[in-house]
Amino acid sequence: MSEIKQNGTLLLLGVNHTTAPIDVRERLAIPISRLADATRTLAHQPGVREALILSTCNRVELLTVQDAPAIATSPPLGMMSFLHDYLNLPAADIQPHVYEFREREAIRHLFRVASSLDSMVVGEPQILGQVKQSWNVAREVGAVSSMLDPLLQRAFSVAKRVRTETQIGSSSVSIASVAAELARKIFGSLAGKTVLIVGAGKMSDLAARHLIQQGATTLLVSNRTEASAEKIADSLRTPAITTGVIPFEQLHEQSHRADIVITSTGAGQIFMPEHARALLHRRRNRPVFFIDIAVPRDVAPEINKLEGCFVYDMDDLQQVAARNQAVRSREAEAAEVIVSKEVARYSDRLSQAPAIEAFKQLQLSAEAVRQQELARTAQRLAAQPLTPEQQAAIEALTRSLTAKLLHSQLEALRVASPGSGEETSDSNGK
Amino acid sequence: MSLLWLRVAVLLYGIAALAVLPAALYNRPRWRHVAMPAALAGAFFHFVSITETLYAAHRALPVDTHETLSMLALLLAAAFLLLAAKYRTVAFGIFLLPVVVLLTIVPAFRPGHETLAYPAIRTGWLLLHVALLLAAYAALFLSLIASLLYLIQERRLKQKRANPRRTWLPPLETTDQIALKALLFGLPCMTAGLLIGSVVALQTIGPTFFADPKVLLSLAMWVAYMLMIFIRQHSGLRGRRAVYLSSFVFLVVLAVWSANALSVVHRFKAP
Repeated sequence: MSEIKQNGTLLLLGVNHTTAPIDVRERLAIPISRLADATRTLAHQPGVREALILSTCNRVELLTVQDAPAIATSPPLGMMSFLHDYLNLPAADIQPHVYEFREREAIRHLFRVASSLDSMVVGEPQILGQVKQSWNVAREVGAVSSMLDPLLQRAFSVAKRVRTETQIGSSSVSIASVAAELARKIFGSLAGKTVLIVGAGKMSDLAARHLIQQGATTLLVSNRTEASAEKIADSLRTPAITTGVIPFEQLHEQSHRADIVITSTGAGQIFMPEHARALLHRRRNRPVFFIDIAVPRDVAPEINKLEGCFVYDMDDLQQVAARNQAVRSREAEAAEVIVSKEVARYSDRLSQAPAIEAFKQLQLSAEAVRQQELARTAQRLAAQPLTPEQQAAIEALTRSLTAKLLHSQLEALRVASPGSGEETSDSNGK
Repeated sequence: MSLLWLRVAVLLYGIAALAVLPAALYNRPRWRHVAMPAALAGAFFHFVSITETLYAAHRALPVDTHETLSMLALLLAAAFLLLAAKYRTVAFGIFLLPVVVLLTIVPAFRPGHETLAYPAIRTGWLLLHVALLLAAYAALFLSLIASLLYLIQERRLKQKRANPRRTWLPPLETTDQIALKALLFGLPCMTAGLLIGSVVALQTIGPTFFADPKVLLSLAMWVAYMLMIFIRQHSGLRGRRAVYLSSFVFLVVLAVWSANALSVVHRFKAP
């Protein structure tokens, strides 16, 4: 870690969903429109050499490279004053929620965040994009350079490795995304599929939005109160989405138009096996997926026994979500191992950097001396120039001499370098 | 030399058949990177082997059972590669590749020595007859596998035990499309193959050919095939009943294949 110290100290300060309640996070959050300005301001704080700000709904983190005197206090006053001055928040309000990581632990934290191991929903894919966005903003304002730039690039490749080598993000863990995932298992692509929402409810609305995100293009709504149905249809209508309202009394006559039916009325069994049979007949046995998120259930469970009908109620969806969550937890353990290895590798590379630089300098200066001496000798022998064979022999001789003279010094440098076995960790993370 | 290439192909198919198991069942991309190149290389060596055999024998069509099986295997391997490229699924390999290995292993280690019963009919039409019928058989087998995969996925979804780590099965609609498309591809192949065969037989042997059990069974096979497509198209038959129907037609195809033994005129003859 001596490289970090030479170029400044890596310091990460932040709050996240585990350390701060939502009202604190809300006050600290920096919208994307202000991110460039905030990053520039942070980078201009006294003692700050490089800076990056990550602001999402679940975390606000300041990653900086600072001069040693600037970080004498914990947390560093400069960073706290940035939070206080820029966001107009009293330090006392923030300080209890702030965590701080330095050097190796800061690297570990960044790798974990980018790999979605520190997210509220472990394995969610958005965080990597958010880190990349922060990095782009910091690059645009010139706030990252020799230290943070390679570190961030390494964080992205670690995140990619975690995604590729584990199945941390392979399955959905929210009810709405589980429903969308199941729909994909039935229909493959949801492009061109029709979703019917029966009843008005937040959950059905959310599930419908997920299905639309996955490519469903037609949305039908049916509700006892037609005005509510129209309101939902209007709220989900976009140029790419066709919406329509089915009068509740015509529900059974028209429900065959839908590939996916989301019910949330809670009014008892609206869909009985005979309705499902008629529906299948009209669809010429094309599969239909019932997502019943009502309690009591709207869809008779016996319908699931009919060929071509798939019924998932709230309990079923929750069970799938729980199973997926368990899978993610197992995969997270494997991901942590990858992150630990990558942190060690990156730290080793950093700690060996000064030795490598010294090797290079030593070799360059030795080469310069050799060239000088060769030129001087050539000048002395100008009257009787050497033959090409003699020149080659002298070239080889001087090279060999330089290499042998340098060998013991280079070996001593290699042994003394921190990456050669000495304990290099100097983390102070809390 | 052609036998050597065929043995190399068997080895590569074997590797692909094994590698496809973890690739599909446990969703391990590394194994997929073994299975796909191995299957592709296997198909290449297989093709080289068949071409070399036919070239060396100065003929354009397989004349014995082993060669015919080997050609069918090549078609199935090609079908697997095509599906993997188009639908990004290796699930079909679980069933297709072992069959490919089995169909290739016998000709690779015990080549046949039969010749054509009527050497005079070594025409391009006969080659087309054989190739089209083999394509139809391969399409039917593929359709059967697709229907089976549909059934497995349907059961998993109905029993609500879809393991998120085992997402090897293609979506229901995809398998259904594959099953139907395979049948729709197979129908013209079978129709044209049988028609060409009939015309060639009529010219070579005469009307007595049509009283042959092999020919009668072939006609029954074509009717069953047509009926299956009609039922699937018009009633949207899927799942369990589609598997039963496909299995029935497949049994008819096997019967037609075996009828070579009973046939007087449509058979390969030992030298």
